[in-house]
Amino acid sequence: MLAFVREMQVVLLAVILLGACAAKLSRVLRARSVRVIVDATVLFPRRLRRRAAMALCITEFSLGLSLIATIGRLGRGGWADGVRLATAVFFLLATCALVELREHRPDLGCGCFGDFSSKPPGLRSVARTALFSAAALASIRSGTPPLPPPGLAAAQDLGFLVTELLLVAVLSPELEEALARLGYAEPCEMHTSSPHRAVAALRRSAAWRSHCGLITGDVPADMWRELCWWYVVYPGRGGDVVFAVEVRPHRPAVHTAVVPRPGDPAAGQNASAAQPMPASGHSPAF
Amino acid sequence: MQSRRADLACCGRCAGPEAAARIARRQRYRAAVQPGPGRGLAGADGIHVSAPTDPVRAVTGTLLDISPHIAVVAVAGEEQRFTLTAGATVWRGGPAGATQLRPGERVVVRLVPGRRDVADKIWASIGRVAGTISGWDDGRLLVDEGVTKGCQAVVISPRARNRVAVRFPQLEPGSLIDVIGLRRGQVLEATMPATSQPAYLAYRVARGPAAVTAATGTISGSATWHEPAEPDEETRGIAYPAIGPEAGCGEAATDAPGCVDLPYLAVGSMLLVRNECTGAARLLPVTGCGAVARLFHDRCVTCGTSPRGRVADLTIASFVELGGELERGCFNATISAGW
Repeated sequence: MLAFVREMQVVLLAVILLGACAAKLSRVLRARSVRVIVDATVLFPRRLRRRAAMALCITEFSLGLSLIATIGRLGRGGWADGVRLATAVFFLLATCALVELREHRPDLGCGCFGDFSSKPPGLRSVARTALFSAAALASIRSGTPPLPPPGLAAAQDLGFLVTELLLVAVLSPELEEALARLGYAEPCEMHTSSPHRAVAALRRSAAWRSHCGLITGDVPADMWRELCWWYVVYPGRGGDVVFAVEVRPHRPAVHTAVVPRPGDPAAGQNASAAQPMPASGHSPAF
Repeated sequence: MQSRRADLACCGRCAGPEAAARIARRQRYRAAVQPGPGRGLAGADGIHVSAPTDPVRAVTGTLLDISPHIAVVAVAGEEQRFTLTAGATVWRGGPAGATQLRPGERVVVRLVPGRRDVADKIWASIGRVAGTISGWDDGRLLVDEGVTKGCQAVVISPRARNRVAVRFPQLEPGSLIDVIGLRRGQVLEATMPATSQPAYLAYRVARGPAAVTAATGTISGSATWHEPAEPDEETRGIAYPAIGPEAGCGEAATDAPGCVDLPYLAVGSMLLVRNECTGAARLLPVTGCGAVARLFHDRCVTCGTSPRGRVADLTIASFVELGGELERGCFNATISAGW
């Protein structure tokens, strides 16, 4: 009973190991340095960390490939069981390493799955690694079982596998990270935006046309970017003319206000006329 | 048309009355064109700032005289006397007695809440150097802190050598360093590491995931402090790590992208900073560029573990008034922009 499920553990573990290796390699290739994955080996002495990180990647890759090679009839007997035992030992050591990491370097992520494992390992990560170790042990001497016959046995095997996958998902903080990234769209306050573009959009706007008569200089007296808005200040009659231009590629909203200059008697006289125009509301650029 | 004037470049740790006037002017302009707080980040509308009844205050100045019970400090040209409580502590490279301090030392005095002349803690000659190691010179470590502060010299105290070596094993050009110690003129005598050395070199900053943005529109991370670049630098404010690149941040020590994604702000923007360890919160102006803070993708573990990345590099007074202990180097912080 459940022999099929035991054999399927090999596939699951192979996918996990190759995925972990690929995530680390991807991070190394992007940074062009092995140093970015030494978080995973921070418990080693400094001079050994780079080599330990490379050894970790090679071990994951070798075990993953060996597990795949020993699936089914190709790897019966001692060779297949040896690989599965080695995998169990590997995950057991990883569990101990995570416990040590939590104890001694609570500020570091384990780097198990590259960028996705940036958070410090919690109890979930430890439990997951222990689960993988148990799965590797369970797969030893599983033989080459036939597919379960349709019916209750198949449903039971399928249910067990689905439950296990759900458990792995629940124990994986990396999954939350990956889902968050999939649904992530860069908000406007983090977009880079050219000041020239903002001024060009302002000059096309209705707010500019209605206030350009007040402006006395061609050059902004001040201009700065804050969150989703560019602020452009021009010297003007009756005070400074302030525009807020939204950071948006198309049809940015433009707000306007006339701010009297403190201590300017001329501005003070005109302030009553000019000041009633604050925040003139949304004015599409076109 | 010229759309951008030369002086639009970030002034980098703004100093003097001109900079203060510019910050005030921008706040006035912004309030006129977009009145009301919380106009920026989604969710920031729900945050309300209430002034604490007895806020912690801090003053910085030069020590004129000290006895076990009284400290006389020159603050902005005025002589002020502070009574030391029985439980008052003194830091000078480590716990010290009040009588170990010497006149002429720069001191940071934390006052008892609600009292203007009673000191709770004094830090003497405390300094910090964070940046990229550029080389060695006559046994001194040279650290590049950016354009404004330039190159800083660091000598590692013999009694702290092992401690620093554990956290900063690579003291080679290109590596990052952040140490706290005693300021001795132009040289910092490092007595403790402020963080752990990042695994990457300064020119290969590892871009990590964004700092956590909760539903309230806040961003969590680590808040650190910096020494003033000039004597008349604003005493309260933030060197923010994400001044818009188009501003030509005068302190950009590197072209590398920041470690974490933060919303772009400008000098003069207001930021609500909350110390997650003490609950203290202050609305502070951005007074300069935190170019060096952009390089560190570290966590603060003062209370729990913060998300990665430095979200604010505070002035000394602001750091202390928010409940930070200078010798710890950081506190877990949450910031909210758009005020």
